[in-house]
Amino acid sequence: MKGNQRSKELAEKESTPGGQKELEDAVLKTGLCTGCGACVNLCPYQAVYRDRIVTLHHCDLTRGRCYDFCPRTPADLNTLQEACDVGDDLTPEIGAVGGFFITRAADEKIRRRAQHGGTVSTLIALALREGLIDAAVLAGEGEGLLPQAVTVSDPEIAVGQGKSRFVVSPTVAEFNRVNRTDCRRIGVVATPCQALALAKMRTQTVKDTQSGIEKLQLVVGLFCGWALSWRNLTALLEKKMDIAAITGMDIPPSRYHTLEVYTKKGTVRVSLDEVNSCVRESCRYCGDMTAEFSDLSVGSARLPEGWDTARFWNQVVVRTKRGSDLLELARSKGVLEFREVPAGNLDKLKAASVNKKRAAASHPSGPRSVVDKMGQAG
Amino acid sequence: MSIDKQQREGAEVLLMGNEAIARGALEAGVQVAAGYPGTPSSEIIETLSRFAEPGKLYVEWSANEKVAMEVAAAASFSGLRSMCVMKQNGVNVASDFLLHLTGSGTRGGMLLVTCDDPGALSSVNEGESRHFARLMEIPLLEPADFQEAKEMMPWAFTLSEEIRNIVMVRSVTRMSHASGNVVLGALPQPGGKGEFLCDGKISDPERGPVISAPVVEKHRLQQEKIRKAAAIFETSPFNAYTGPERPELLIITSSACRLYSDEAVSLLGAEGRVGILKLGTTWPIPPAYVKKHLTTTEKVLIVEEVLPFLEEQVKILAAEQAREIGIKTFYGKNDGTLPMTGELNPDLVAAAIGRILGIAPATFPAVYNEKLRSLAGVVPQREQTFCPGCPHRATYWSIREALQRDGRNGFVCGDIGCYAMAVLFQAAGFHTAKTLHAMGSGIGLASGFGKLGSFGMDQPVLAVCGDSTFYHAAIPALINAVHQNANVIFIVLDNSGTAMTGFQSHPGLAVNAMGEAVPMVDIAAICGSMGVKVVSGDPFALRQTRETLNRLMEERGGVKVLILKQSCALSPEKKGKKQYLVRVDEHLCRGDACGCNRLCTRIFRCPGLLWDREKGKARIDEVICAGCGVCAGICPAEAIRCEEAQVP
Repeated sequence: MKGNQRSKELAEKESTPGGQKELEDAVLKTGLCTGCGACVNLCPYQAVYRDRIVTLHHCDLTRGRCYDFCPRTPADLNTLQEACDVGDDLTPEIGAVGGFFITRAADEKIRRRAQHGGTVSTLIALALREGLIDAAVLAGEGEGLLPQAVTVSDPEIAVGQGKSRFVVSPTVAEFNRVNRTDCRRIGVVATPCQALALAKMRTQTVKDTQSGIEKLQLVVGLFCGWALSWRNLTALLEKKMDIAAITGMDIPPSRYHTLEVYTKKGTVRVSLDEVNSCVRESCRYCGDMTAEFSDLSVGSARLPEGWDTARFWNQVVVRTKRGSDLLELARSKGVLEFREVPAGNLDKLKAASVNKKRAAASHPSGPRSVVDKMGQAG
Repeated sequence: MSIDKQQREGAEVLLMGNEAIARGALEAGVQVAAGYPGTPSSEIIETLSRFAEPGKLYVEWSANEKVAMEVAAAASFSGLRSMCVMKQNGVNVASDFLLHLTGSGTRGGMLLVTCDDPGALSSVNEGESRHFARLMEIPLLEPADFQEAKEMMPWAFTLSEEIRNIVMVRSVTRMSHASGNVVLGALPQPGGKGEFLCDGKISDPERGPVISAPVVEKHRLQQEKIRKAAAIFETSPFNAYTGPERPELLIITSSACRLYSDEAVSLLGAEGRVGILKLGTTWPIPPAYVKKHLTTTEKVLIVEEVLPFLEEQVKILAAEQAREIGIKTFYGKNDGTLPMTGELNPDLVAAAIGRILGIAPATFPAVYNEKLRSLAGVVPQREQTFCPGCPHRATYWSIREALQRDGRNGFVCGDIGCYAMAVLFQAAGFHTAKTLHAMGSGIGLASGFGKLGSFGMDQPVLAVCGDSTFYHAAIPALINAVHQNANVIFIVLDNSGTAMTGFQSHPGLAVNAMGEAVPMVDIAAICGSMGVKVVSGDPFALRQTRETLNRLMEERGGVKVLILKQSCALSPEKKGKKQYLVRVDEHLCRGDACGCNRLCTRIFRCPGLLWDREKGKARIDEVICAGCGVCAGICPAEAIRCEEAQVP
């Protein structure tokens, strides 16, 4: 898109009113809300409760950052890509691909505490240690099945937060909070919707209040198929186990068609048919599986040796120079191990991503198909 | 404007209607007075309490109106003069006892004084207590000016003793709360000893047990008493006629409506055409006396508040006497000449007279209207809301924030007290309270709502209740909710007094209406004794209150009680004392920008917060700020700063 055309669209967007009412009508009441928290901690009107965004009081502004930053309100993707400095190597399936790698933490202790290969934990710890960032916002352990968005500055603590969360964490809300503190350089570990919200903050159109987005120095994206509703998931698992005894969860490749729940008494397998009813409505409309608006994106790996090997590795898609520099730093410092990318892996990832984009575009379709096809991305 | 012990017989003083009633009771030698606070009745017991003295006059604020009537009746049964005082809907509460009391009869003179509120100026109903007189078959008196309000009391006590039954005296807001000159009478020497004589036969009205059985026989006796009263009413000094001998239009009126009628006739200059028959004895109306006046005219207008009570009696009488007095044309409520709801006023009455007699409506002189307009500009525009520093604002704020977080469309069942404003003016309660009925009905309704889970209702059900209301009528409903295992959060808004009506004592306080030290009845202990979870908190601790509420909403089944204790901002111990000096840091205030949009002045709306339009910043009205500091907790920019106030 040409520059002048783009600025024309931007001007159009600026003239389109969007405040709390429009956010409620277009996102909150329609089930499109991802729970990312972008509209929270900006003002006293929106809050997070459990994994839901709620409106506390009525705001009558016709233009608000809540609407502006929401990943489910209209945006010009080209403007966003430009704002995120993503490379020219755009693919229609998974966005910019400046590089594609299979990696894992060199430190076995980090791998043991992580969901898969510990790549995200390693990169965040490295960025903190090297002073690229002085605070990292990520989804930490909360109460029960509910994660808690936390800010860590200590690399040792950062590596202890590496488990996947199956319920959304209001990470962007935490970013909104922490960017008003003394932190100067903030990194965020973000799901695709959260990364998109952060990208939209870079193109803020509501001018009267600043949001501290210039402090955002790193976005590590996470591959994501969907997130589950806390209330529904709790109701489902309560019947099968003691929630307090859960130590972790994972979704093996799709042929298993299972959510594995690790508890102190062993692993409980829950059919994805049952899990499907817990998927957030908004996730069924989401077409971004790989966090296209991040500096680099990380997900679980697929290897010819099978799941028992692959589960301890990650796949990494590099999007920006910043992402590439960080990965190379990790390589030169020896904190990440790299292995050869098997032939066809990138194509499989693209195929999975296309499936999600199709499902999102054609929704409402059979919700089951969303889970089946996307489960492997978790 | 008040009465005191120094005032001598014959002195002319300016008294509020309620003070005149109290003075009349004192001049009648009343020995026991009990009531429950309720506007417009509260000043009667308050005034009497200043004259209270052991052995001479016992005064109490009772837990509710039924108990007040029972307390007063016990004194009557013991031969003492007694009275109970309440507002119109209080009579509903007392009516179960009243029904039986009228059957059993009384001994010492006993009055029921009720102050009605036509137009519901300080009520959530405009119920009319006059109908109870007819329903319960007891005499009804209505004073029509301030002197009469005083004079009527001794006369009513004498009547009660003559017919051995309770007599009802009814006032209205404009009579109770307006003031006029009253010439005082003598105060008697302290009255006699109380003794309940109960060793006689059931048929012995002097010494027998006091009961309403045998019912049919007692009922017959009661009707004899009312016929006797009607005969006495024929010569009552409180019935009077003013006007031409044969008026073109006869107005029959009572109470404050007499004043409206006088003013309307004078406004129209129709004194020569319209006569006013003012009745002080309004049930039963004295038939011969009224008949005599009906013969003088063809047209009759009945002016009264609220329902056609006199109108129906007069029409029945006219129908019975039609052969002698001829056919009359009646104007009033029934034909729509006057409105059937709300208060009347001189304008409405003048318009009615004008229509009947074909007189052009009277207009006020232009200078009057000009003055009215200029004064209207001087009066500051204030919305009806909670006072600065009111704990209820903080409580409803937390309720709102908790309900919105919960997200299941929970709601509050309101109750009677200042906190009812959350229902009446929804913005004051942040749109949380959705029902409002009688005292104690909040928890009663909640008890019902809390059982609808099996019908698919998933909404959190909250009920609020003030401390005085708790003792008045909430306890049986709470017991019901507990026993039925209703899913309810019951929030007691304990502000340590009957705040709305002026800090009368209640069973939760250590001082009674006489100023004596008395045992306190602990709300938490009562709730705890029912075996339910009781949590206590400070409503000014916003976050803690909100988190407690959200936690309670997540808990399934049964009643959960949250007691939020914080004294009323107008309470004697708080009034005029600021805990904090509050100010707004203009550099931090975000004003109406995205990120705040005037949360404090647009949504929170404490009257102590002002919006400085020119600066685009909030500021504190230091004169009316109560210094509670709650607004500092809601400011998203921490721009509202609190400093501990220096204790002078």
